[in-house]
Amino acid sequence: MAGRLEPHLEALRRELRVPDPTVLSVLLALVAVIITLLIWRLVQGRRSSRKAVLLLGLCDAGKTLLFARLLTGRYRDTQTSITDSSAVYRVSNDKSANVTLIDLPGHESLRLQFLERFKAAARAIVFVVDSVAFQREVKDVAEFLYQVLVDSTVLKNAPALLIACNKQDVTMAKSAKLIQQQLEKELNTLRVTRSAAPTSLDGSAIGGPAQLGKKGKDFDFSQLPMKVEFVECSARGSKGEEGDADFEGLEKWLAKIA
Amino acid sequence: MLDFFTIFSKGGLVLWCFQGGPAATAPVNALIRSVLLQERGGNNSFTHEALTLKYKLDNQFELVFVVGFQKILTLTYVDKLIDDVHKEFRDKYRNEFQQKGTLGLLNGTFDFKDDFMRLLRDAEESSKVRAPTVMKTFEQSLKSQKTVKCMIETRGEKPKEKVKNKKNKGSKKEGTEAVAAPGKASAGDKQPSGDREELTKDEILQKNREEFFRRHMKAGEKSSKSPKPEAQKEKGKKPRVWDLENSNAKVLDYSNSATNGSAEACPVEEFDPNAALGDRNREPGRLYDLEYESDEEAEEEKVVQNPSKPSVKKGGLGGMFGMLKGLVGSKSLTREDMDPVLEKMKDHLIAKNVAAEIAVQLCESVAKKLEGKVMGTFTTVTSTVKQALQEALVQILQPQRRVDVLRDVMDAQRHRRPYVVTFCGVNGVGKSTNLAKISFWLIENGFSVLIAACDTFRAGAVEQLRTHTRRLNALHPPESHGGRTMVQLYEKGYGKDAAGIAMEAISYARNQGFDVVLVDTAGRMQDNAPLMTALAKLIAVNTPDLVLFVGEALVGNEAVDQLVKFNKALADHSMAQTPRLIDGIVLTKFDTIDDKVGAAISMTYITSKPIVFVGTGQTYCDLRSLNAKAVVAALMKA
Repeated sequence: MAGRLEPHLEALRRELRVPDPTVLSVLLALVAVIITLLIWRLVQGRRSSRKAVLLLGLCDAGKTLLFARLLTGRYRDTQTSITDSSAVYRVSNDKSANVTLIDLPGHESLRLQFLERFKAAARAIVFVVDSVAFQREVKDVAEFLYQVLVDSTVLKNAPALLIACNKQDVTMAKSAKLIQQQLEKELNTLRVTRSAAPTSLDGSAIGGPAQLGKKGKDFDFSQLPMKVEFVECSARGSKGEEGDADFEGLEKWLAKIA
Repeated sequence: MLDFFTIFSKGGLVLWCFQGGPAATAPVNALIRSVLLQERGGNNSFTHEALTLKYKLDNQFELVFVVGFQKILTLTYVDKLIDDVHKEFRDKYRNEFQQKGTLGLLNGTFDFKDDFMRLLRDAEESSKVRAPTVMKTFEQSLKSQKTVKCMIETRGEKPKEKVKNKKNKGSKKEGTEAVAAPGKASAGDKQPSGDREELTKDEILQKNREEFFRRHMKAGEKSSKSPKPEAQKEKGKKPRVWDLENSNAKVLDYSNSATNGSAEACPVEEFDPNAALGDRNREPGRLYDLEYESDEEAEEEKVVQNPSKPSVKKGGLGGMFGMLKGLVGSKSLTREDMDPVLEKMKDHLIAKNVAAEIAVQLCESVAKKLEGKVMGTFTTVTSTVKQALQEALVQILQPQRRVDVLRDVMDAQRHRRPYVVTFCGVNGVGKSTNLAKISFWLIENGFSVLIAACDTFRAGAVEQLRTHTRRLNALHPPESHGGRTMVQLYEKGYGKDAAGIAMEAISYARNQGFDVVLVDTAGRMQDNAPLMTALAKLIAVNTPDLVLFVGEALVGNEAVDQLVKFNKALADHSMAQTPRLIDGIVLTKFDTIDDKVGAAISMTYITSKPIVFVGTGQTYCDLRSLNAKAVVAALMKA
């Protein structure tokens, strides 16, 4: 074996000693290609840094209508979304700033899958809450919000979070303050129950290793690593389908983060 | 006739609708939720209250076409209408979809009404086009050619002759009529068709000769031929041989006369005791183990595999070019492309213990979702189908409702009433064992548990639960929980009514301030109607907060039958408007299957209820919750 290698090694050493133009040029070309690839990957990584704003929420919260209103200003009939839709949204006063709005389905069987796909690209999250049905759905809203908040990617990137209390045009809608209080209480309880759930099949705990907020004290949205704001809005608008939507708070917030 | 017709994108925007409105959104939402999202997209129609909905997916541009009409109508043109509308809509607005993407959908106005009305009119007319067939008049029918007398059947007579005469006369008439008509063969054929039973050999020869001549001779002579076979048939009537009074029984006796009944009849065979007993060296009375012959089986498997390998190699070269063609460029998926891959995936799923009918339905649904989809570059058909199937499986395993037992127990605690959980299932799946595990988990979280022993049939059921209670109390003594016993057993012995015991247990728990009541029922087969009625009565009377079906992971196709019948029994015997059905599934004996985890899919697909707990062993700590991604990964692993 060594005998066979020796002549090859000798040949290689001879080649290296004599600066054969073809071999050298091939080597140089290879090195250049590798460096280009590395640079390109770095640039790509920096460029595709999170420009997306995700619209999350339960089913029938009004995400797709909000999406349509933000982009076109007009009212559209909507059905339950089965897949995501994304489009570029230009902030009104500043021409250069634009974000990609992504509307994700809210159905229970799809929401986590789509969140997995898009959470890495999220610069901000708009969590749409149905203010009218909130009293009934508070546990489901809190559970989804909890799942979003303890996700490791979300905790690492800490995208800005806006909780949009939608459907304010209906008289029975709850105010943002009330929704905030109820959510804080519910998330407080959820912290305990979710971390006490039986561990998952492959060993990872369902609640995630992260503990939401501070341990000793009651849960508060200010304890989170990201900025959380509450805003009231109405995608349908107080004048019905013909008029505009009432969401200046939402637009201002979008302008801020863009 | 149609109630509504909607076209909307998969992202949720309604692009165009015909007579839509709030009446249309609710049924369409129901369609989406129950069919598309639960992967039941095999057949394309769905019933919701009084409407039938038919739908079609366009996977290339991500559109859904839904038509709704009243259930009582059966409209035949609906399928064709949907296809036509699909083609027309797609061709008309192709630009908007391809170039402008989502903004095109949002901003575009889809003025489709005129085209739709035209297509609807065409479809309706095409279903009416076929004029109702004119009924034959009485003179034209065959019946008029028979006499009334021959149609009266009287025993003893031979009515066939007369019928034949009439038939022949009728055909003769028709034969003369049809002389000018081109259908020569038909008249001649009518004759021999009915008469075959009674012709002898000569007559058959005669008949064939006539046919031969007929074909070469002029039409005019045909009518003269027809009386001849008629006359010959009169001659050829012979008596049949099987009159019983004439022959004697001896003729019919075919048995060997000498040997019946006599002991010496069967030849005495050589009885060799060695051959009969086999091994001479065996010990009398001992039962030997089954010898596991693994080598032979392995050889057989290799032999089976080898013939399949050369076929794969042969197809390799041709398939490679096809694969390369498919790799580059955008190719839209057709049914033919997907079928072999889906077949393989279906077999793979069945090999992983998914119930056969569910595997079929799943593959159908995935095929519907992928048909017409445009593949990107460097993706093969196999990878696309696998990806879609994986997403579908994860979708099925995701719970449709909140699965947080502790949260609900806390709620019930606040209202000062016990949280009642009932365990039901067939025999031997692990109800009592998992009940003990769940009570351990609840005690660890600080809730006090009352176990109601409603299994009054199986010997030792009450003692088993008593042993568990003792052990749990030893693990969590009252001193460490503020002086109250965390676990107590409520039992009334054997032979009593289970529903009554459950009711007493719940009121006892309410008085004593227990947080949770776990009701253990007897195992029962799903076909056993009286026992199913008893279970349904227990659940209907006591209205538990959670009805858990305990199923083992080893079950195969049986899972479908069990769950369907259990749900049906609960629905049938419930008095309430909305019957209490199974709320969740406990999957037990998960440690006995390595990666054949298909039972999880079967159970969640059938009931669309979540798997709440997974049992992975017999100790108290072997309780897990389901991780959808891990299960699907194990399922898709080769």
